[in-house]
Amino acid sequence: MIPDSLRKELAARVREAITPREAAVDIMKELQRHSGWLTDEGVEVAAELLGLSPLQVEELATFYEMIYRRPVGKQVIHLCDSISCWCMGGERIMEQLREKLGVEPGGTTTDGRFTLIPCACLGNCGEGPTMMVGDTLHGRLTPEEVNDILCAA
Amino acid sequence: MPGLIIDDIPVEVPAGTTVIEAARSVGIWIPHFCYHPALGSVGACRLCAVKLLDGPVKGIQMSCMLPVQEGMVVSTTDAEAQAMRRNVIEWLMINHPHDCPVCDEGGECTLQDYTIAGGHGLRRYDGKKRTYHNQELGPHIQHEMNRCIHCYRCVRFYQEQAGGTDFGVMGSGARVYFGRFKEGALDSPFSGNLVDVCPTGVFTDKTSRFRARYWDYDMAPSLCPGCSLGCNITPVARYRELLKIKARRNDGVNGWFICDRGRFGGREVNDPARPRAPRVDGVDVPWDQALDTFVLRLGELLATHGAGSLALVGSPRLPLEGQLLLARLAEIVSPGNVCWFTTAGEARGVLAALETLPPEGVASLADVRGAGCVVILGVDLLAEAPMMALAVRQAWRNGAKVYVMGISEWTFGSFLGISVTPVSSLDEVPPAERVKPVLIGNSRDLPSARVDEKLWGGARVALLQSGPNAVGAALLSVDHDGASLEELLASGRIKGVVAVEADIPGSWLAGIPFVAALDWRQTETVAVAQLLLPTTSWLEMDGTFINYEGRAQRFLKVMNPGIPLRGLDPTLHPPRIHRSVPPGGDLRPAWRLLAHLVERLGGRSPESPFTGRWERLRDLHPEGEGIMVYTHGSDSSEGGG
Ligand code: SF4
Ligand code: SF4
Repeated sequence: MIPDSLRKELAARVREAITPREAAVDIMKELQRHSGWLTDEGVEVAAELLGLSPLQVEELATFYEMIYRRPVGKQVIHLCDSISCWCMGGERIMEQLREKLGVEPGGTTTDGRFTLIPCACLGNCGEGPTMMVGDTLHGRLTPEEVNDILCAA
Repeated sequence: MPGLIIDDIPVEVPAGTTVIEAARSVGIWIPHFCYHPALGSVGACRLCAVKLLDGPVKGIQMSCMLPVQEGMVVSTTDAEAQAMRRNVIEWLMINHPHDCPVCDEGGECTLQDYTIAGGHGLRRYDGKKRTYHNQELGPHIQHEMNRCIHCYRCVRFYQEQAGGTDFGVMGSGARVYFGRFKEGALDSPFSGNLVDVCPTGVFTDKTSRFRARYWDYDMAPSLCPGCSLGCNITPVARYRELLKIKARRNDGVNGWFICDRGRFGGREVNDPARPRAPRVDGVDVPWDQALDTFVLRLGELLATHGAGSLALVGSPRLPLEGQLLLARLAEIVSPGNVCWFTTAGEARGVLAALETLPPEGVASLADVRGAGCVVILGVDLLAEAPMMALAVRQAWRNGAKVYVMGISEWTFGSFLGISVTPVSSLDEVPPAERVKPVLIGNSRDLPSARVDEKLWGGARVALLQSGPNAVGAALLSVDHDGASLEELLASGRIKGVVAVEADIPGSWLAGIPFVAALDWRQTETVAVAQLLLPTTSWLEMDGTFINYEGRAQRFLKVMNPGIPLRGLDPTLHPPRIHRSVPPGGDLRPAWRLLAHLVERLGGRSPESPFTGRWERLRDLHPEGEGIMVYTHGSDSSEGGG
């Protein structure tokens, strides 16, 4: 359930935007922060707040990699899966993560701590290989660093 | 006008034309999926590749995205262009489920055609295919997403053309999905066009699912009888059953699309219980006996009560041929007692409409689409003439201001996704905004919708009418002094009524000793008639309707009459007796029955229903733009070919 207090706060943000549509990503991220992922209810609430149809919100939500329309673990790992990071050994990092976490890309660890998502791209091409854990971006990854980051996360 | 050369053919087209259209104008068809003349170019499918050999642009180009320029030399047959198209096809087929045998699109599928045209027959890709879950989209549309080639035509139609907000495209990259947020019936009253625009079998007509293949279809150019707009359609039938209806392009009228009412309605023609045999006093009789009885009883009536005692009643849904023959029959048996309208109000409205039209004339649907300012005078277009609403939306998309009077601007505007301004009188529309103005009303509301010509000089007017051939009915009413049945009955003289495809309330006929009905529908009038002559429906005959603008259009026979094989009592099939017509198929067009009666009653029946001023409709072509039979101040101006 999305609480009324959150709805009110979000409605105020929509009012501040020049057009409601431009507030859409912001609203979806807030609803995601609240539930851990953007639930069906969240899509409907966003639609109501933005004056859009649920489908119109869904079109946006499913376009963006960092809006999750399915439950995810506590931390989401986005590992860049594009050409610059491949050149710098990104695929080896993917192998390492799969092995260490025991999940396939797209999967969530059994303890619910991590979800592993390949993505293209994180806009950090000069610093490949790159991954993002939660909101923190990590570049020039080495296998040792990956281990450290996971332990600390 | 830039000049260019396409496959050695010099072409001159207006600036802004794309190469794909320029090629089409000289008969060169460049394969394409995402481009659609009504939906525009997006360059998504990459199929329309051509090679520019010389001129301002060179190399492989997408012909739908390329405006013509002076001096271009285009080749559609160049080896490199052909290879590109061949590869695009192969690549689009990578994920295709190869389920043509169980796909309703099979045989009328653009993807099938181009796959074969491109020569792709052997699969080289052995990776996994992308698959999707389908959605239940309501009673009309079947969804099969695995067949999708991501051309975006459906969403461009649904959202851009039709203003729908419950269907769209989700996801990104190779995973895009065309559907709804949640399963459920599509909201748009134009949803059926998804079936026509999708170049493959993602959206097919659920109402005719698994019923027939393209090469089995009975088809002919026809018209929608759903309202007075006269949208062009191609009905599809098999074994005497109407299976589905497709839109037929007519740029002056409906453009490329039709509404869902037109597409999914009209199924009463399939009703096994509709009038199928002549009937006298509730008993089925042979045609000869029925016609003899008709002549006999009519004679008795006229002998007893005099010539003024018989009313002949047509209707706005009766094709023009029947309306004309009804007038002729009236001249012989009951001059001055013919009418084509039931209620006085309806007759007054339609007749007033003919007089009210401003000199600038009637707004066609094309005029509405191109208008700069639209005022809707109290008609719920979505309920009464949906394609007019779609035309208003196109005007709005091109920048027109839309005003509404006397209807809920919220329902109208939000349903079509357009912004509208409510006004309480025409004067409230700022004069500066009356650019290329079009007023849309309903003849029913005249003369209250009468327009001040001085203020609204230059305005074109669209007045909806009460049926697909109401203007035909009105023109004949003027020629023959036809009133309405209501008025004729009020005189108290009427002792007999011949109703030809007319919907007369049963209670009006209660005290009338002689009631004969010619109809193909099981109506109230048919139920009370002592004498019934069953007629063919508009799908089972050639005929003519005159739409609200006064545009005469021809429709052709689609199927043979008769009880559909599907509704046939199994004991009747296969037939145990030799017969030349199928069960329930011995029906005749109303105008032929009327012509026969004219002869029996002492007149001369014409070879063609079209004589005198109507003669020019004889060779009216069903695929042209029609002939305008009425414009203000004259009734003889010729419209587009
Ligand atoms: S569903 Fe049909 S029209 Fe829509 S994108 Fe796919 S192939 Fe094109
Ligand atoms: S707008 Fe009227 S004529 Fe056109 S398809 Fe719909 S019902 Fe038929």
